[in-house]
This record gives sequence, structure tokens and C-alpha cells, in this order.
Amino acid sequence: MKVSAVRQALLLIALALVPAIGEAIYFRNKVSWQSPIPASELVTAEQAQSWGDNVIWVDARPSEEFDRDHIPGAISLNEDRWNELLPQFLGQWSPERTVVVYCSAQSCNASREVAKRLREEAQLKNVFVLDGGWERWLKLNR
Amino acid sequence: MVKSFPWRIVALIIGGIFIYAGVLKAMDPVGFANDIDNYKILPWTIGVRLAFYLPWLEILCGLAVILGLLYRGGLLILTALVSIFIAASVISKVRGLDITCGCFGHASKYLSFFGHLLLDLAIFAGLIGLSISNRAQQSQL
Repeated sequence: MKVSAVRQALLLIALALVPAIGEAIYFRNKVSWQSPIPASELVTAEQAQSWGDNVIWVDARPSEEFDRDHIPGAISLNEDRWNELLPQFLGQWSPERTVVVYCSAQSCNASREVAKRLREEAQLKNVFVLDGGWERWLKLNR
Repeated sequence: MVKSFPWRIVALIIGGIFIYAGVLKAMDPVGFANDIDNYKILPWTIGVRLAFYLPWLEILCGLAVILGLLYRGGLLILTALVSIFIAASVISKVRGLDITCGCFGHASKYLSFFGHLLLDLAIFAGLIGLSISNRAQQSQL
């Protein structure tokens, strides 16, 4: 009986591959398969710094971490205090400036989420995520 | 497949939950991939592929439990999946990650950790009950 349940499970596992592969083919150009952030939305610290004053740095880390230290001129905008901080950010934003969002390191999600909300909710266009985050910026600058 | 009326109802509810959860996630695989990534257990390259696969596995297993086709296989997989969900949620909580489980796509955003855990444990108990009742029924034949 045990073997039979395992065989049935294997059959279900194989059957589920069919619609999954179909959906993956349908979404193949809409998903970033190698990294959670599509390459077109990522920017390196070197490249962002070369844009000079045209960049608005957005710190997506918790406010306590921002208060401790941040990229000079960065604006704090995190999901916990989104409604409170967004108007302050929009007050400093202008259409010709490029927004670069960062969080702690490569593995954090906050910058991705904040960048997504800026694109979708605030309808901003030039929004990038800093590759490697705050750690990478620190390594380059201090 | 269990034939007693109360267990048929349990099978319908549990199968229905997995079909509902699977359809929600299959409609937004990228969102589900982000939910998997939030656990910080699997690399993105694996998580994103699982995000396309797991919803369909849940749907098929939910259908198997409701329709009684490949019934034991469906129960086996769903029990394994719920065990993994529970383990991953607890590990994440212990690691201090404040995340949503993503079990019901972004709809689960508003359920607390303990809400999720209770729901998962109830489903797990139901699946074990279905397996035991099915085994008892088989041994009577």
C-alpha cells in the first residue's frame, strides 16, 4: 500500500510539471530567472555615483539604521513609515532626477519593495535598486 | 478514498483550500516567488522555479483528494507540503524574519504568524485524520 501511495505521488508530481512548464513559458519574458531584481532595474554603486547630483538616494532600511548612518544626502523612505515619509520624499523629488533605492545588503528585500511601490503607487519612472546595497556603498566609499 | 460522510466533508474542505491557495498563487507566480524569497532559505533561482511549480501541484493534489483519484498520493504530498510550510514558518520566526507565509498569495498578508500556524496545524491534523481513516477503511476490506 505504501508503494502505491508513493507511486501515486510521483505521478502527481510529474503531472504538475505540465501546466507549470506551460505557465513558465508564458511568463518567460516577464520574470527575472537569475535574480529577484531584473538587471534593467539594478544599478551598481559606481554607476549611480557617476550620475552625481542627478541621483536621489532613498534609504529603505528601518529609520533607526538610517539615523545611525546613511549615504550623504539620502532620504529615508521605508515601508513601516511609508505614509509619513512618502510626502517628504516627493517634496525633494523632481522628474529629471533618478531614484536609487538601497537597503542593507544584497540579500535584503526592502529596497526592491520600496522601488516597486514608488513605480506602482507614486508612478515614478527612473527608479533603480542599488546592487549590493549599503554594504557595497560602504566598501567603495569608506 | 474515504467514504464516511464526515471525512468526505473534511476531504472537500482541505482539497478546496489547496485548490483555492494554488489558483491564487498560480495567478501571481512572481508575487509567490517573492514570498518564497522572503524566507531566505532557498536561492532565488530555485525559488522562482518552485513558484511556478508548487501552485499546480497543490491544485492537482487538492483535486485528487476531492475526486478520490490518486487519493493516497495526493494526501501524501499535501501532508509533506504542510509539514514543510510549518517548519519554514517556525524557522523564519525563530530567525526573526517578519514575513508573510504567502500560502494564499498576497491575500495572506493580513493573517498573523499564529493565525497561519493554527490554520496549517488544523490542515495537518485533517490530512492525518484522512490518512488514518482511509487506512482503517482499507483494512476492513
